[in-house]
Amino acid sequence: MSKTGDRRALRCPRCDKGVEVSKLTKSTLCSGCHRTMRTEDETVSDYQARAEYYNEACVEVAKKGVIISEVRVRSLVVKGEVKGPIRAREGVTIHKTGKVYGNLAAQALSVEEGAVLVGRVEVGPGRPTGGPPPVIPVAIVPAASSASRPTVAINAKAAAGAQ
Amino acid sequence: MPSIPGSSSETVLGADATFKGELSYEGAMRIEGKFDGKITSKGRLIVGKTAHVSGELTVAHAGLEGQFKGNVVASERVELTGSAQVTGDIRSPRLVVAEGATLVGNVVISPEALKGDHRGSSEREQILQTAAGAPAAARR
Repeated sequence: MSKTGDRRALRCPRCDKGVEVSKLTKSTLCSGCHRTMRTEDETVSDYQARAEYYNEACVEVAKKGVIISEVRVRSLVVKGEVKGPIRAREGVTIHKTGKVYGNLAAQALSVEEGAVLVGRVEVGPGRPTGGPPPVIPVAIVPAASSASRPTVAINAKAAAGAQ
Repeated sequence: MPSIPGSSSETVLGADATFKGELSYEGAMRIEGKFDGKITSKGRLIVGKTAHVSGELTVAHAGLEGQFKGNVVASERVELTGSAQVTGDIRSPRLVVAEGATLVGNVVISPEALKGDHRGSSEREQILQTAAGAPAAARR
């Protein structure tokens, strides 16, 4: 295999450092944060609850697939379900069977009829902007009542951390 | 870039017009000028490419091609063309976002999006549990 073969430029989903790898590379070590970076297209067809789901490639969540995690990918196709903040360097497509609960930042968004999308959306050319994805603030939720349980829980955590 | 087709009998607020206040109509309307206020209709609204609209929209079908700032509640669908720049919340059963469109805001897109607060609160809980609980639990 030639070292001068087809190469592709990627960005680390953690530290945003640019990396150039062969098109055949399935994973690599980021020279910025020294952590493994998956670069292979993937289809998720089972239940996956993780702290983070990072893949600098195209990820498809199949009809029976569920991801409960923070998701940072190059592009995402949702036919199943994703719960958690999504940050896609390119596009996100939510098929008619897809359900997304969480904040979404991407360059482009396509939502088919029948799909479910609940969360804060930031879509447009030049997005997502640099830095870590935004944590879902309590304020993004259309408040039904001023004292909802999650608000109290988050505040309690913050207070415990301050002590 | 294709624009959203209007109907022959639509009301038009021209590019040189400015309107402030509340507006309601039957049928279809296209805004090409400046609008600031509240629109209520069971029909179709098109915010044209040259339009600057801010306020609250409660319509059946909203087609957004220009600049819009505010909240949209659409009982049928919301369409954003590639030239649309939208800042605000959207609640509708269907959403179509063309490539190039800018959308920043809270979105509830679901067949049950307009079926009252009970469903909405469970959805809110799901978001918050996902954001605050699930990743943290997985890290432990």
